[in-house]
This record gives sequence, C-alpha cells and structure tokens, in this order.
Amino acid sequence: MLYGKSLKYVFHLIFHPFDGFWDLKFEKRGSIPAAFTLVLLTIITFSIEKQSTGFLFNMNRLSELNIVVDVTTVLLLYILWCSANWCTTSLMDGKGRMLDILIAVGYSLAPLVIIRLPLVLISHFITTNEGSFYTVFQTISILWSLLLLFLGTMITHQYTVKKTILTCLITLLGMGILMFIGLLFFNVIGRMMTFVVTIYKELRFR
Amino acid sequence: MNIRSLSKLKRSILPCAIAALTLITSLGCTGQTVMAAESYNSYNYNFWGEAIAQPQTFLYEKSFFTEGSDCTLSFPKDMFLKNDTLYIADTGNSRILVMDPDGNIISEYTHGKDKSDVFKEPQGVFVTDEGHIYIADSGNGRIVELDEKGEFVREVGRPVTSLISDSQDYTPTKVVVDHSERIYVIAYGINMGLLEFDKNGNFQGFMGATEVSVSPFTYIWKNYFSTKQQQERMATIVPTEYSNICVDNENFIYATINNLSTDDLASGADAIRRLNPTGDDVLRRLSNYHIIGDLNGYSGGWSSFCDVTVNDDGCYFILDDAGGKVFAYDYDGNSLFVFGKKGIKEGNFQKPVAIALTDEEDRIYVLDNILGTVISFKITDYGSKLLSAIRLNNMGDSEGATAMWNEVSRYNSNNELAYIGLGKASMDAEDYKSAMNYFKLGNNRKYYSKALFYYRKEMMEKYFSKGMLGIGIILLIFIGIKGYFSIKKWVGKARCYMENL
Repeated sequence: MLYGKSLKYVFHLIFHPFDGFWDLKFEKRGSIPAAFTLVLLTIITFSIEKQSTGFLFNMNRLSELNIVVDVTTVLLLYILWCSANWCTTSLMDGKGRMLDILIAVGYSLAPLVIIRLPLVLISHFITTNEGSFYTVFQTISILWSLLLLFLGTMITHQYTVKKTILTCLITLLGMGILMFIGLLFFNVIGRMMTFVVTIYKELRFR
Repeated sequence: MNIRSLSKLKRSILPCAIAALTLITSLGCTGQTVMAAESYNSYNYNFWGEAIAQPQTFLYEKSFFTEGSDCTLSFPKDMFLKNDTLYIADTGNSRILVMDPDGNIISEYTHGKDKSDVFKEPQGVFVTDEGHIYIADSGNGRIVELDEKGEFVREVGRPVTSLISDSQDYTPTKVVVDHSERIYVIAYGINMGLLEFDKNGNFQGFMGATEVSVSPFTYIWKNYFSTKQQQERMATIVPTEYSNICVDNENFIYATINNLSTDDLASGADAIRRLNPTGDDVLRRLSNYHIIGDLNGYSGGWSSFCDVTVNDDGCYFILDDAGGKVFAYDYDGNSLFVFGKKGIKEGNFQKPVAIALTDEEDRIYVLDNILGTVISFKITDYGSKLLSAIRLNNMGDSEGATAMWNEVSRYNSNNELAYIGLGKASMDAEDYKSAMNYFKLGNNRKYYSKALFYYRKEMMEKYFSKGMLGIGIILLIFIGIKGYFSIKKWVGKARCYMENL
C-alpha cells in the first residue's frame, strides 16, 4: 500500500467509519507510516493551537508553554491506550492485532487535525460574540474523534456495542494500572541506580 | 510611543526593578543614608494574579505624636479628615483631638453636655460638611453630636427596639452620617447590619446585613453527623459584623468586613461592600479577582480590612491590619496599587486602624493603634499621575486622560490599566489596530474583541471589493479552462459519433 494513498484514505474513513475501519483492516487500506503521521500531526496541531490561537481564545501564557509536555501528553496517551487496549482485547477474544490497533487509533485522531488546525487561523478573525462557533467546532472535533475511536475498536476486534463499551472502560482502567506500574518501575530503577552509584563511590574512596 | 519596544522592556525591567528595590532596602538596613530607601514595597496585581513590583505611589513623610512629643495618644481607634483638619478619637485618653496638617493641636474635646458628662473611650469619630462632630462614645453607649465650636448639640442613645435583647450591651464603635443626615452606626457584637437612625436620632432599623453563606457540606456535617459536644465547640454560623464604614459623595456607604474565615476568603467572599440606601451591595466587581487584599493569602496570611476611604472618582483605599498594607482599587474594582508593611522601621505599622485621604488627594494619613501615631504618606509623581488619569477619564476629558496614561505607562510599563486607557483613546481616534495592540498589552479581552470587530469591518470595507474581484477572476479562469476542455471533449465525442455513423 502506497503511503500517500493510505494517508488519503483518512478522508474516506472519517465520513464512512463502518466501511472505513473494515477496509482499513481487512483490505489493508491503511498503513503504519500514515497512522504515525496522523499522530505527529495531532501533536503539531495541539502545540500550534496553544501558541498561535488568537488572543481572544488563547488563555495560555506563552512564557509558560512547554512543547515537551505537548508531545509527551499525546504520545503517552496514544501508546498507553494502544497497549492497554491490546492487553484487554487479547483476553477478550479481540480479533485485532497490535498493528491494527495502532493504525485504527491513529486514523481516528484525524478529525482533531482537520478541524482544529483551520480553527487556529479562524480564531484570529472572530470576536467573542462569535466565540460559540469556535467552541462548538472544538467540541465537535473531540466528539468525532471519540466516536471514531469507539467504532474503530468495535470493528477492528469485531465486537458488539455492549462489549466495546466494556472493553473501553477496562482499557481506561488498564491505562491507569500501566501508569502506576510505570511510575513504580522508574522509582525502583532510580533507587537501584543510586544504590549502585553509592557502592561504587564508597569503593572508590576507600 | 513605541509599543513593541515597551513590551520587550516589560520583561527586562521587572527583574531589574526588584533587584534595585532589594538593594535599596538592604542598604537602608545597614544604616547608610539612602534617600530613596523605603521601608516597604509597592506593587499591584496583574491579569494573572501575580504581584508585580511597581514604582512607589505614596512615600513616608513623617509621624505625628511620636514618643517625646508634647501630646501623645493612647491606643487611638479612629480618625477622620475634613477640610485639612484631622479629628482623632484618642480612645485610651477618652478625648477627641483636632489637629492641623502641621501637627499643631487646635482643640481637644473631652465632654458632652457639661464638664461632668465626660466621654468614655470613644472609638469612632465623624465630621459632617458643616463641621459637626459625631462621636461614637463607646463606653457610655451613645452617639454624641458636637457643633463646629465643640458645643454639645445632642446625644443619640441606645436604640429603642425589641430587636436587640436587653441583656446585650450597646457599644457603638463607628459612626457615619450621610448627606441626608441619616446616622449609621456599627455596634460591637451586633451582627444584624448597620444601625440606622433618622436625622432626629430615632432608630429606623438595621441595614445591609451580611447574608450567611454555609456550604451544604458544613451544614449537613454540623447538623446531622456531629455530637452535641462537637456542635458546641464548632464555630456558630452567624452573619459577620462590619469592621468600619465610610460614606462617599453619592451617599453610598462603603463597609469593610474583617472577621471572615479562611475558607470564606479563599472562596472569594466579599470583604468590602458598597451599600446603597436600601442596604444592597452595589460594589462593582469587574476585575478578574476578588477584592480581598493580597490574593495569595495562604503564604502570608489573609488580609483583614479595618478601614476604608474613598475619593470623588470612586477609587477606594482599604487599610489592612493583618499585613499592614494599603490597598487601592478603582471604581471597577481593579487593583491600582498596594503599599505599606508591618514592621519597626520608620513608616511601618504595628496595628493600623484608620486611614484618611486629603481632599487634594496628595496625602494619606494612617492612624496606628499600638504606636499611637499618625503616619503621613505623600503621593509621588507616579501616584498622582495614576489618580489624575482616572479622574480625567471619569470627567470625559479623553485627551488629557490619554496624555496621563502615556505618562503612567512611561513610569511603569507593567501597568495594564494604562494600556487599557490608551487603547480606549485609540478606539475613540478610530485607530483600531493600535487599540488592539494596547488591549493585548493590557490583557483585556472584552475591549480587544470590540476593537477587533471594528478593525475587521474597516478591513472588509477596504478590501472586500478587491478581494471579491480577485476571487471572481480566478473562478472565471478556472471555469474557462474547465469549459474549454469539456467542450473539446464534447467535440471529440461528437466527431467520433459522426464518424461512426
């Protein structure tokens, strides 16, 4: 599958999610590079949004913005969701592989990019009175993405609606557990490192 | 004035200013004589709620009644300024002192009707426009009116009402008289609001009682989940008392509240009110933050308002006895400046109790209860420009105001009010682009939106026809090319058809 063609497929997918996600997986219309591009675009969208949204709709202080935080937030959520979803669906007879999940989730981020990026430009030309349009479109972008995420999970794993809701809830829980284990892991590793370093220092100064 | 360079300066000036201030104050500590040394800092709160250093607005001038002078005060509680004359309630010595601006005692009042009818620890004093002195004679439980020569006029005693139980002491602490000669009194331990007397001294009722606000959680916890012993030990949920009052030129009463709980203050309860004659709070609160003094209260303790004075433009100056600071706000409730400090240096407070502003607005007098002194502060050039910019703006002199705001922003490029003022002036001059710039610097989104609206309209009017023409031409070319190809295709098809015939 060509990269450009698989990326272009996004526009079909977001308007026809049922066929779209089916073909994405079984007709191999999507690709990992395209999915990663969409994740990258999401990161870019969020950081541009924070920096360049018009004064009226931008309550961020430029001096306090940190691009590392933007990047890690999106990436971390993406990776966490995908791995937690994979863990859960493996146990719950999901038909999707890790690759399928990565692609489906990546593609379902598309509305965020497609709606929010133009909104940044538009926010420079609208006043507070017209601000409700701005917020409405922002909300639509999130809801649309969530819907796609839900449908993507449902179709990739060939679940019923009920089972998808359950899976999503368990996935959220799993994300929490993963975070906890991660923190614990880093903490323990850090302590072990200091322990080794201390022993090395003690031996050196002896 | 170049805005862009100003905004760049804004970032660089601040650390320098702070460094310079600390340097100056530290020099002052070591005993070297530095004239500019002040024993306190001046700052105000910006859009983000941060305390930003700014030039001094009021400088310490001198103290009256210091130790060793002929006349000393003993725990004075109140002070009033009228026609450049200070009236001081010298509570500990049970007398009212009248002082001129140079510190000379003009007269001393100690008694009412006759020599035997002496005051007992008067805690409040007020002077009307005619020069009549109203004294809250706390120890005797009455209000005494003296005329301008100090002759006894009348006394207003305990209110005749069933609303106050007989067992309750009546101790008036503060008194004001509005322009229609109604008398308002704060009495100790009475939390139903201000006592209102008509001009003949008859009790009319209570006015402006504070509403009791209890969180549902507290209410349920207290009433359903606590034992009787616990309930007894909990603070009773009662309305708060006012700590001080003053009346402005529009007959509205400014009242401060100082015994608010930490929770109340954190949730932004009103520590100051502006009561209209029916007792409703009509204070304008258009700023982003509550009017509670220092915003980051948890670190240094919350401010506690003990007195307020107001000028003709509706700017009010609140005295805080917890931190020993003076907070100034404009009519809309925007923070203008903060100065003052508790401490032992000259110009510092121990326990400030009363504040007064001269009619020319060039001096602020603060009465200190423990020091027993009246401390005078003289306005700086920056301070007077700030206040006069607000005055000119109120008077509708937009040209003068613009000039003043320019001066103010030259002194202090962090002053958001100045930028908003300049932005409004640019709006009047129909220079919407620079207005937008100013409102951005002043962090005011409401006015920015207005300026943007007009700027957009202006741009539309200017470029709409050209833009439309451009789009039209592009569309025409597009349609032309497309049409050409489709015609060509059709012709080809037709020819093909013809040949096949």
